[in-house]
Amino acid sequence: MNAITPIDKGASVALGAPIDVTIENVQKAFGDTPALHGVSLDVKAGELVALLGPSGSGKTTLLRILAGLDAPTAGRVLFGGDDALGLSVQDRNVGFVFQHYALFRHMTVFQNIAFGLTVRPRGERPPKAEIRKRVLHLLDLVQLTGLDKRYPSQLSGGQRQRVALARALAIEPRVLLLDEPFGALDAQVRKDLRRWLREIHDQTGHTTFFVTHDQEEALELADRVVVMSKGRIEQVGTPDEIYDAPASPFVFEFIGESSFLPVTVVDGAVQLDGRPLDLSGLGAPSGTATLGFRPHDVSIVEDGSPAITGTIVTERRHGGARRLELEVGTDKHRVEIDMPVDHSRLAGNQIAFRPHRWRIFPR
Amino acid sequence: MSDEAFTTARLPGASAIHFRPVTMERKHVRVALILISLAFLGLFLIMPVVAVFVEAFRGGMPAFAEAIFEPDAAAAIRLTLLVAAISVPCNLVFGLAASWAIAKFDFKGKSLLNTLIDLPFSVSPVIAGLIYILMFGSQSLLGPWLKSEGIQVIFAVPGIVLATIFVTFPFVARELIPLMEEQGRGDEEAALSLGASGFQVFFRVTLPNVKWALLYGVLLCNARAMGEFGAVSVVSGHIRGLTNTMPLHVEILYNEYNFAAAFAVASLLALLALFTLVVKSVLEWRYADEIAATRRH
Ligand SMILES: Nc1ncnc2c1ncn2[C@@H]1O[C@H](COP(=O)(O)OP(=O)(O)OP(=O)(O)O)[C@@H](O)[C@H]1O
Ligand SMILES: [Mg+2]
Repeated sequence: MNAITPIDKGASVALGAPIDVTIENVQKAFGDTPALHGVSLDVKAGELVALLGPSGSGKTTLLRILAGLDAPTAGRVLFGGDDALGLSVQDRNVGFVFQHYALFRHMTVFQNIAFGLTVRPRGERPPKAEIRKRVLHLLDLVQLTGLDKRYPSQLSGGQRQRVALARALAIEPRVLLLDEPFGALDAQVRKDLRRWLREIHDQTGHTTFFVTHDQEEALELADRVVVMSKGRIEQVGTPDEIYDAPASPFVFEFIGESSFLPVTVVDGAVQLDGRPLDLSGLGAPSGTATLGFRPHDVSIVEDGSPAITGTIVTERRHGGARRLELEVGTDKHRVEIDMPVDHSRLAGNQIAFRPHRWRIFPR
Repeated sequence: MSDEAFTTARLPGASAIHFRPVTMERKHVRVALILISLAFLGLFLIMPVVAVFVEAFRGGMPAFAEAIFEPDAAAAIRLTLLVAAISVPCNLVFGLAASWAIAKFDFKGKSLLNTLIDLPFSVSPVIAGLIYILMFGSQSLLGPWLKSEGIQVIFAVPGIVLATIFVTFPFVARELIPLMEEQGRGDEEAALSLGASGFQVFFRVTLPNVKWALLYGVLLCNARAMGEFGAVSVVSGHIRGLTNTMPLHVEILYNEYNFAAAFAVASLLALLALFTLVVKSVLEWRYADEIAATRRH
């Protein structure tokens, strides 16, 4: 595959004016199996939103409902304030990029991209020369100049992916839906395409939904991240909010590395096994709670001040740090912490630490 | 190709490495397998076909031409063409509709339909013929009504067409269903989301995706429609010049010890088979890339 170079800022694509998308309490069941339990979401015109969640969390289902390929069991979808559920797939004017591309295999790259324009009714169809101009322009945009006569089977995965995107952009969609567009590609290509997609979005300004189960991709690419689990939205927020202020242990665990300990909050302070830890309860009410922290957000305590003490179970190299797995407390909960590689080893296999950033989730 | 040509890899600075692909048998095993296949084909396929042509031309070209242009033979050829011209398009439409339904929709009774399509393969053609006699014959429920309306089904062209359709209806569907199922609904959904109407989706996406399989199905269906003997024999009544198709005509001539004429007409049927095979091979060879591309990429 060609390396992906920055986009020519002079280029521009014609587009349908981007619109707000409102999802109100959308539910979907396949027979008896519920796939979405009441999902609500407001997306501003031109926003790039990542739908992030583990496999089976309902991301594709939500996208298909937005596109009109599936109908919700209940709920409303508004495009620019108007009901969209009454519109057929064809009339919704959304660009859908499928998880497995779904390029038309008997058509060349050119014909694939032109498809959406050539199927328009005679009156609305642009003249041949105009179609040609637009397709070639889109090919430039997705950096596949000169590959217009190839068949999909003669393209690499990343190239197919970009043809699929160009095909979706050609119809001047009001909303762009991308279902794990880079799912099948290797890590390096994903990174390149990710940056490139962000540039395309900034340039074309479509309201864009982007499905992924890769948290790094979501955090890097999106204006806002929607974390989904088991057919529900767990949290909606900017990448910073999601990473720094996760609303639930699920989000905390799904975004980045995490360790959890059952604790008690007493008068605004955190206690482990009845001993104070000198950590604030962060406003959580008194009672049982879960303490969450990231392995790299801890300091080793050697002066005997209040700390979490654990027994080292395993020890391994982890990037620039040494990763320790500890058993903590009377119930021997396993947690992971990072220790600087050059930190002098302590006598014995006991170690004390205190997180310097943490979250408290009341139970 | 010599073994050396593809089993020897030369690494820079290393001596030649002999490597036999693990799935490839030793030479004498391969030769034996190929010989067995060839002997079998020769004995059971090629020799009989050659024999047909030898017999057909035993009396020379004039005798051959006379056997074929003789009025009863000409009528049989015309009838065979007519029957194929009706039943093949019917099965084309039915095959497309059934495979479209089975591959692209979920509905109750889908597996039943899928099984029923195979029925003609598992039922003896004689029974297929008898079914139509039971349905439309003079002893049947419909018989008196048909008679009063002056419609003759059995021992007439309509019966022959019906029996032929019955026997040949799996051919198109069986070619299409596996391919359509493998291709899934993704392409159709993509086309819809790009604004195509149902009509456009069918003619611009679904049909092109299966066109080669469809052509194969039609070729096979046609070959069988022209060659069908059993079912047609039951419903035809063997009226010379009226309800005799080519295979039936061959049998009649043969039973009359008119071997030269029988083989002359038979050679036409054999030619049809050869033609079908050749067209299929040519298509496969000519459009190999495109055919490969219509499978999942
Ligand atoms: N056509 C269907 N029939 C029945 N169940 C379905 C269907 N499509 C999806 N589901 C179910 O709905 C749930 C959500 O599926 P969905 O495809 O939306 O997940 P996803 O978040 O896109 O997962 P992935 O990351 O694996 O693509 C799953 O439990 C799935 O089994
Ligand atoms: Mg999915």
